[in-house]
Amino acid sequence: MEVASPTMDGQAKPTRCSKVTSLQDAARLARGALEERPELCLGGLFKQGRPVALVRGLLAAGADGLHVYSSPGAGYDIDLMIAAGAVAQVFIPGVTLENRLCPNFRRAVEAGQVTAHALDALTVVGGLMASAHGVPFQPIDALRGSDVLKHNPLLREIDCPFSGRHIHAVGPIRPRVTFLHAQEADRWGNLRHLSTMVYADQLMARASDMVIASVDRIVPEEVVLDDPSRVTVPSHYVDAVVEVPFGAHPTASFPNYAMDEEHIDAYADLGDAARAGDAAGLNAYIARHVTGPESQGDYIEAVGGSAHFARLEAEARNG
Amino acid sequence: MNSAVSPLEQMVVVLARDLADGELGAAGAAALVPMAAIALARELHAPNLTVGGEMFFNPEPGRLYPSMLDDRALGRCEAAETFIELFGHSHHGLGFFFHSGLQHDAFGNINLHHVGGTLHAPKMRGPGAANLSYCHTSSRFYICPTVHSARNFVEKVDFITIPGHLSGPAAKRDAGLVNEGPRLVVTPRAVMDFDKTTLRMRLKSVHAGNTPEDVQRHTGFDLAIRGDVPRTRPPTDAELRVLRERIDPSGALRA
Repeated sequence: MEVASPTMDGQAKPTRCSKVTSLQDAARLARGALEERPELCLGGLFKQGRPVALVRGLLAAGADGLHVYSSPGAGYDIDLMIAAGAVAQVFIPGVTLENRLCPNFRRAVEAGQVTAHALDALTVVGGLMASAHGVPFQPIDALRGSDVLKHNPLLREIDCPFSGRHIHAVGPIRPRVTFLHAQEADRWGNLRHLSTMVYADQLMARASDMVIASVDRIVPEEVVLDDPSRVTVPSHYVDAVVEVPFGAHPTASFPNYAMDEEHIDAYADLGDAARAGDAAGLNAYIARHVTGPESQGDYIEAVGGSAHFARLEAEARNG
Repeated sequence: MNSAVSPLEQMVVVLARDLADGELGAAGAAALVPMAAIALARELHAPNLTVGGEMFFNPEPGRLYPSMLDDRALGRCEAAETFIELFGHSHHGLGFFFHSGLQHDAFGNINLHHVGGTLHAPKMRGPGAANLSYCHTSSRFYICPTVHSARNFVEKVDFITIPGHLSGPAAKRDAGLVNEGPRLVVTPRAVMDFDKTTLRMRLKSVHAGNTPEDVQRHTGFDLAIRGDVPRTRPPTDAELRVLRERIDPSGALRA
């Protein structure tokens, strides 16, 4: 808690605001912003470092018609958002669970319920770079021969003003809200990724209107001050931070816990059943894991309790 | 080294032999076979081969993982990068890269977007692909799907996600694809390469347990079989020992 302390001349010293908030308040903040402009961006990559608790919170708070961006590869979370009926358009180049296809993504795109744009990594990363750097476009000179170029809605062909060559340009991608997951933050919102990879999280933080981060734990500010080069996203770019134990589950938050591949596989089986016409299991999954839990504690119990998570922690430690 | 060589082990050995010392390369998304090939090359003849371009340098995984985009699979690595650096790698290109898809065609083009229908009304929607640049900014790439059937080897792909040789030399030149493109297609059944003049795929060698007729029957286009097709050179004792003892002790390539 911030307590104003009197200064020498008796005036109250102004205090710095903590950015720590609750999962529910963070979800409401995001929902309100996304109602203005539905562009949501998710940090992490595939089954690593994904802000899944924030996604579940947003789905529980109610969201629809979202345009979803990500680092160039996503799977479980975008598929879950589609299963919950929250997504209109997908701007993610690669959508896969890696060992199998994303069932709800596939079903919804094949049924014409969701538009999945044909994109590539350089378009998305370049668009985030343009936004982060405050320039009107980012040139790209490495895309040739692919049918993606005929359909990619974010690219334009331009003449290079120096060489005269035909190259591509992508305009700024400016998410209204970005969700990130990091391992640690202080209460001011300085994020510390302790994982090996930081994906596109730093770029997204600088490219977005609003950044909300979940972290495995809030650490004392001395931890940050003692090792500033370890801060991956300075608090300047962060609007709110939420301490959520196992907040990336079922994706990994290395080195704290490994991805829960069995959970994701079981979910995908339910998604495949829904694709084949039996949505009962998938609906029950969403009720049990997304709309049902009133807190992250409830979610942890629904998934399998502390013994289940202890196994994921041990796997991250021991490889 | 008595137990039979698995098709994936044969793939790994073929790919490893083609990687040179001192090169820079990366494995892409479906990484089990490519990462094993890189690791085997580094152990046997290419100690200065650098793994890089995918947000990390020189990982030291304790065992093989299906994806390299997994902190467990990286194990320890020499350096980590981000997507900001991936932008530069994509433009500068690598020595080699690996790709596979839902469909592969007679000119080495790869489809990861849709089978049947159109992009926005697909009969079957695939995953798409993240990086489309390494296939032509890199000196060359390899196509190495772990399934080889008449369903995923088709005359013409429904959508070109990853360009190979397009429809041949003229189309490739017109599109500005100046590098080698796909060099070898290595599958669980055989090795294919590309005719130097037409850039069409042709059968180069068949793995033990397969005949050229088998391979042709499981391919949806003419593989230009003329005369005797050699057997793929099987793994040597040394290759197999290093592969099984140091790179894949858990037997992921034999599962």
